[in-house]
Amino acid sequence: MIHLSHLRFRRRVGLLAAGVLEGRDRERTRAHVEACARCRREYAELAAVVAAMEADPVRSAVPELPVSVLIDRVDRQIDRAAARPPAPVVGWRLALPAAAAAVLTLALLGPELAARLWPEPPTPVPTGPAVTPAPAAAASDEFLDRLDRNMAREHTAHYLSEAQDVLLSVAGTEADCVTEEDRVDVGEAPDRSRDLLSRRALLVEGRPEAVASARAVLDDVEMALREVADLPSCVRRRDVERLRQKVERRHLHMRIRLMTRELEG
Amino acid sequence: MEPSQEGAASDRDLMARLAAGDREALAPLMERHYRRLYRLALSYLRNPDDALDVVQETFVKAFQKADRWDGSTEAGPWLSRVAVNQSIDRWRRNRRRQATFTPLAEGDHDEALAAGGPDPDRRVLRREMRDRLAVALEGLPERQRAVVMLRHYQEMSLDEIAQTLGMRLGTVKSTLHRALGRMRTGLRGELQS
Repeated sequence: MIHLSHLRFRRRVGLLAAGVLEGRDRERTRAHVEACARCRREYAELAAVVAAMEADPVRSAVPELPVSVLIDRVDRQIDRAAARPPAPVVGWRLALPAAAAAVLTLALLGPELAARLWPEPPTPVPTGPAVTPAPAAAASDEFLDRLDRNMAREHTAHYLSEAQDVLLSVAGTEADCVTEEDRVDVGEAPDRSRDLLSRRALLVEGRPEAVASARAVLDDVEMALREVADLPSCVRRRDVERLRQKVERRHLHMRIRLMTRELEG
Repeated sequence: MEPSQEGAASDRDLMARLAAGDREALAPLMERHYRRLYRLALSYLRNPDDALDVVQETFVKAFQKADRWDGSTEAGPWLSRVAVNQSIDRWRRNRRRQATFTPLAEGDHDEALAAGGPDPDRRVLRREMRDRLAVALEGLPERQRAVVMLRHYQEMSLDEIAQTLGMRLGTVKSTLHRALGRMRTGLRGELQS
């Protein structure tokens, strides 16, 4: 009973140090801290962390740019954005049919529409054979294929980057959850791993050849994520260390970085 | 939060004007919030140029998306949320490019450091502590870092943080608790010296 109560208060010690407890809650936690040597030590350390942040000069930093210059920059950026054709905001799977329709329309209406949209410069009209829809359709296929391929590669790069973030957060975790048992808190990493694993299949089922070069890295990342997904949020330090070593042995971080760069072109 | 100026248009009025496409409303809104958003972005990214870019992007987004602001939250937390998301995006991009964390360069915000006292030894210690602190903050997962920034660099209440980040109050509490615990472990040697 005492142990449970102690654990409950321990969770509040951080909130007390952060200055967010109020009223009775604050008084009770403070009283517990005063009576508990371990909590007192923990509170002192947490309060020092908070004090260090309060002394951080960033808190009083002033932008070097006058607001008038910033306003001007924002104005110009808005003008530039307004001058650009609106970017599609739909997902690529939805955007593709629209792009296909546009290309098909262009292919069918062919030279007439193209001439209206992009008047030719005043050069002599070529006397060769007229442009037929067939080459335009071929060009549209090629365009769609490239678009599709680039999208698949971009999604894969983003996925790998997120996976790396999860693996780094696990490897870097040092927050004790139950000190006596030498366990550390891996926070949201298992949830994030499960989320990533559920998205993994989508990456390779659409355009497997577009991301073929990433296959080996994706497989190793999947294996590592599965291990993270199976972790409880409070995990033995040696298990985290074992996972970190496994990732290191496979040079996974370096391979992710290289592959992300390659995929992003 | 920086209070609205008396006699001037309120944040809500300005947001409503922005939503109606009135670009003139942007300047007063920026004058009111840009310092706060700059500090928010700087505390997240620790790089003055990146922080300015984030502030710029935040106001461009504010203009472009003002019609999505439904008035259920105040403009301040709404802008903070945009700035936090922009900071996270920027941080991810930087990391992908391997331009990973670099502490503030010598000379950045020196006036603020000088305010700590003329003693050079003390200034060196403060700088070391600041760098260690920056590393500890950088080691936090994105969400934990955002909560710590809003609480300890923007002095937001837990309710305001929940509103800004779209999180439940209980989640904000547990996230803050975890984040501080993690920083405490990371800074332990430094705090004891």
